[in-house]
Amino acid sequence: MATADQIPDITAPSAGPGAGLLVLLAAMTTEQREGVLANLTASFPAESLLIASPDALPADSYPSLQIVAAPATNAAWTLTAADFVNAYQLAEKNEARAILMLGPESGSLGMSALHGLANAVLTTPTDLAVPCYDLPPHAGLVNSAILYPLTRALFASRVRFPLAPDLGLSVRMAERLARAAQRFTAINQGEAPLWPVNEATVAGFTIDQFDAGPRLQPQPTGPDLNTILPLVTEALFSDIDVKAAFWQRFRPLPPASDPIPMPMPQEPSSHAAAEIAPMLQAFRLAYTNLQEIWSLVLPPNSLLGLKRLAATDLAAFRMPDSLWARIVYDFLLAYRLRTINRGHLLGVLIPLYLAWVASHINITTSGAHTESHIEAVAAAFEAEKTYIVSRWRWPDRFNP
Amino acid sequence: MQSVLATMLQPDPYQAAQPLYADNTSIWHHMSEALHQSLYRVLSLLIAILPGILAFIVALVVLTMIGMALSALLRRGLTAARFDERLAHGRGSNDWAPSTSPTALIARTSFWVCVLLGLIIGVSAFDASYATAATLTSSLLPYFTRVVGAVLLLIAGTLFARFLARSVLIEAVNAQLEYARFLSLGIKWLVLVLTAAMVLDHLQIGGNVVELAFGILFGGIVLTLSLAVGLGSRDLVSRSLESHTEHASERSVAPPTTRPDDPIRHF
Repeated sequence: MATADQIPDITAPSAGPGAGLLVLLAAMTTEQREGVLANLTASFPAESLLIASPDALPADSYPSLQIVAAPATNAAWTLTAADFVNAYQLAEKNEARAILMLGPESGSLGMSALHGLANAVLTTPTDLAVPCYDLPPHAGLVNSAILYPLTRALFASRVRFPLAPDLGLSVRMAERLARAAQRFTAINQGEAPLWPVNEATVAGFTIDQFDAGPRLQPQPTGPDLNTILPLVTEALFSDIDVKAAFWQRFRPLPPASDPIPMPMPQEPSSHAAAEIAPMLQAFRLAYTNLQEIWSLVLPPNSLLGLKRLAATDLAAFRMPDSLWARIVYDFLLAYRLRTINRGHLLGVLIPLYLAWVASHINITTSGAHTESHIEAVAAAFEAEKTYIVSRWRWPDRFNP
Repeated sequence: MQSVLATMLQPDPYQAAQPLYADNTSIWHHMSEALHQSLYRVLSLLIAILPGILAFIVALVVLTMIGMALSALLRRGLTAARFDERLAHGRGSNDWAPSTSPTALIARTSFWVCVLLGLIIGVSAFDASYATAATLTSSLLPYFTRVVGAVLLLIAGTLFARFLARSVLIEAVNAQLEYARFLSLGIKWLVLVLTAAMVLDHLQIGGNVVELAFGILFGGIVLTLSLAVGLGSRDLVSRSLESHTEHASERSVAPPTTRPDDPIRHF
């Protein structure tokens, strides 16, 4: 029989038996919290809601709501392992039927988004309800470049935001995520991000995606891209490595249920050149200095592609989607094989990511739809999946 | 005075008995004797330590073969018992590469433990044999241990230098410093010079000369780096820093405030 680690008990008081929906709020301002609670009470009966917040809420502020204290976590921009452990503990203690986790800045979510997420896990057999945000064209670029295409290609899931800060969870999904999260909290890594879509796919749970409209995306505070990007990619690569036995089997991608909202194509911006110039400068500087390290990770064909890119001028700078897909796959493989130190590996990925961002901005400002380019990138990842599967199984085979 | 002169002019009774020039045969005889004695000494030394050398080789070869057999046996046994799968099941994950799977690690460890055991037994046998030949004043064995220590020091220093150089290079490139490679090379040579000085000191070669040379070289590299970065590359540094400051907002994950219409947000 499979055994699971016992989840440690927390001291939060129980709100009474049979709370319907546990809403776990991240730390937020009073205005934001009031907005969220107003939207929730407009969609659901107040007695069916159990609000858990790390902020100290005065009892007389919301007399109709059941409120419990949630342990404070460091969820600054996305949900962390500690959040998932807390969510399951609170749900189990209060016998909740479903959980709605709302991350930082969730006050900007509309009522329909909150209703959609909560209703899916309360009234339908959905185990994981994920929002699909309507973001500005040049926002969420790490997600568009790496997280979404990799998750879609390897786990056959169309979830557009695998690292969404808001989620609806069934109890069994929360339990599974809490177990996965305990691997991190047990070694004092409670701030590590978790990958609910991957977990749900491997467990065979039902995933539903809802159009959540625009949302203010919380941004990491403090460290810059050079710190955050390796952190996120390492977490994803590690999760993919652990689930290798699952994703190596071919699984068809489910058909898209709703048409993807397409923002209007951008006019060629005068800012575009100014925006991508420093990124290209960073890429070219890296090309002159990091070739030796890249050559340990990338095959000659990819290095040739990078050589051509480095010689391309700013206006014509386009990174082929297949080249980017192979680069990410080769880095994933090098991560698994520990070809070089993992910290070094993820560090040398940064200039390549900046080159992709420059190329993406160039493409979108020249008239292409942002979303259609992201879909093309994801399709390239799918097309190259045989490459990563083959190299994963036979890494020593000749690779030109 | 006359008696003194008479004594000086008197012929030496021994001079007449000995020939005026040394006999060639006698020189060759002495040389041959010296060579024979030297050869005898060397052969004696070899004969004295030969059993030790043979014991060392035999112990190493035998234990290596035992290690290979044990490793193969363990690998086969653990694979048959599906040790990796069981461990992954209990642990909840199997995040290890094929070359670092638990079975491979155990098999490899057992092999190297046997090799190490062979080395220890061999050296011990050699030492015992050497003790019997203690009449020879050579200090080969103690120095051999120093050489082994120095080699280990050299390997560790070289690896550390490479790791540090690569770390500095990546960080400097990601910080968009134009002189990233120069900085990385400087750090690498600093560590290598330090390692070389430690190795020579460990081998007791050079004495004060090494310390002096190390001080001069180390100081020279630091001074060169300082001059190059601080004075020689002043324009380069200021350009690089200006460029870094200008683009810090774009590289930051937080939204820049200068372009509110459509800022670049990585997250």
